[in-house]
Amino acid sequence: MAESVSSQTPSLSEQYHLEKEVKPVEVAPEVTTTQAEEVETKEDSPSEEAVEDKSESPEVPSEEAPAAAEENNEENTTEEVAEETPDEIKLETAPADFRFPTTNQTRHCFTRYIEYHRCVSAKGDDAPECDKFSKFYRSLCPGEWVDRWNEQRENGTFPGPL
Amino acid sequence: MIVLKWLFLTISPCDAAEPWQLGSQDAATPIMQGIIDLHHDIFFFLILILVFVLWILVRALWHFHYKENAIPQRIVHGTTIEILRTIFPSLISMFIAIPSFALLYSMDEVVVDPAITIKAIGHQWYWTYEYSDYNSSDEQSLTFDSYMIPEEDLELGQSRLLEVDNRVVIPAKTHLRIIVTSADVPHSWAVPSSGVKCDAVPGRLNQISILVQREGVYYGQCSEICGTNHAFTPIVVEAVPRKDYGSRVSNQLIPQTGEA
Repeated sequence: MAESVSSQTPSLSEQYHLEKEVKPVEVAPEVTTTQAEEVETKEDSPSEEAVEDKSESPEVPSEEAPAAAEENNEENTTEEVAEETPDEIKLETAPADFRFPTTNQTRHCFTRYIEYHRCVSAKGDDAPECDKFSKFYRSLCPGEWVDRWNEQRENGTFPGPL
Repeated sequence: MIVLKWLFLTISPCDAAEPWQLGSQDAATPIMQGIIDLHHDIFFFLILILVFVLWILVRALWHFHYKENAIPQRIVHGTTIEILRTIFPSLISMFIAIPSFALLYSMDEVVVDPAITIKAIGHQWYWTYEYSDYNSSDEQSLTFDSYMIPEEDLELGQSRLLEVDNRVVIPAKTHLRIIVTSADVPHSWAVPSSGVKCDAVPGRLNQISILVQREGVYYGQCSEICGTNHAFTPIVVEAVPRKDYGSRVSNQLIPQTGEA
C-alpha cells in the first residue's frame, strides 16, 4: 500500500516487529470519574461518528501518563488504548470476559445487554455507571439483535431476566 | 550501488489465491505462522514414513518373482520387530501431537484484551461489517455492506471473484476481536493469510482473536455453502498502519475505489 512507504520500504523483520506496549494503558473512559481525569489533550478534530460527548479526549499520548486507576471492578483488565498520535477514534472495546472463555459469545452479548438494562432500572437512565455496559453490548451485539430486543422490551415480550 | 534489500521490493507477499497454487498463502498473523510451522513439522515425518513405506513396498514387489525367489519366507512371529513397529509409530505420533496441541490451545488463548471489535454478519450473498465501538446510542456508528465487484466492473490488475467494494479496514499490529454471525443461512468467514476460518451461524456469535502483523490487503472467500452465489461472496481485509486507522474509519462512508 502506498501509505506504508516512507523514506524506505521496511524490511520484513521491521514489518513484523510489534512495538512494545509498555506505554501506560488507558482505562475505559466511561468510568465514573471520566472526563476530569482523562482529558489531558482536548482534540477538536472533527469526526462524524467517533466523537461521543464523554469521550471527546482521545487516547492520551504516551508521554502524559495520567492516573491509570483501574476502576473497573469487574473482569476489565487493561485495555489497549496506547496510541502514538492522538486520534479521534479511541481503540477500546469490551474486554475478554472470563465468564465466557469459549468461541461462542452469544451469551456474553446477551448478558451485557441485560446487565445494562438492570443497571438502568436500578440507577436511572442517565447513570454514568451504566454507560460502560452500554458500550459493551453495542460492541458485541449485532445491531439487528439489539433492535429486536428493544422492540421486545417495549412489547413486554423480552425473554430475559431484566 | 546495488543494495541487497532492494531485492525484497520484487517480492510481494501472497495474500490471495494464486492460480495453480500449491502451498499456503503467506502468514500475516501468529496463528497462521504457527499453522505453517506445524505443517512443516508434520511434513517432515510424513516424508520419512512415505519413503520408508514405499521402499518396503517396491522392494517386496520387485523381489516377488517365481523364478528369482522361488521360496518365499514364511515368518509369522518376531518379537523384536513387533516391539519396534509399535514403539516407533507411537513416538512419531507423539512428535506430531506435541506441536499440534501446543498450537491448538494457544490459538484459543486470549492473552490480551482486544482493542477493537468488528462484527462480520453474513447475508446471502454479501457481508455486512459493523464497527460499533464508538457510538453512544443504539444506532451503529459504522455499518456497511461488502459486495463482490462483478467481473465486468473490474479494473486492470484486480482479482476476479475476490474484490469487493468496501473492504474491512483494520489497524495492523493490534489485537482484534472479530464476531462472526449470520442473518439468514450459515456462512463462513475465512481469510487464509490470517489463518482465520470461522463459521457464521444464525443466532450465534462466534469470536475470533487475531493480530495482523503486517500491513497489506488480504483476500478470502465464503467457506460454507449458502446458496446460489456462495462462490461470489469474498472477504477483503485491509490492514493499515495504526495511526492511519482513525482517519480511515472516519472516511469509511466515502466509497472506496478499487485500488486506494
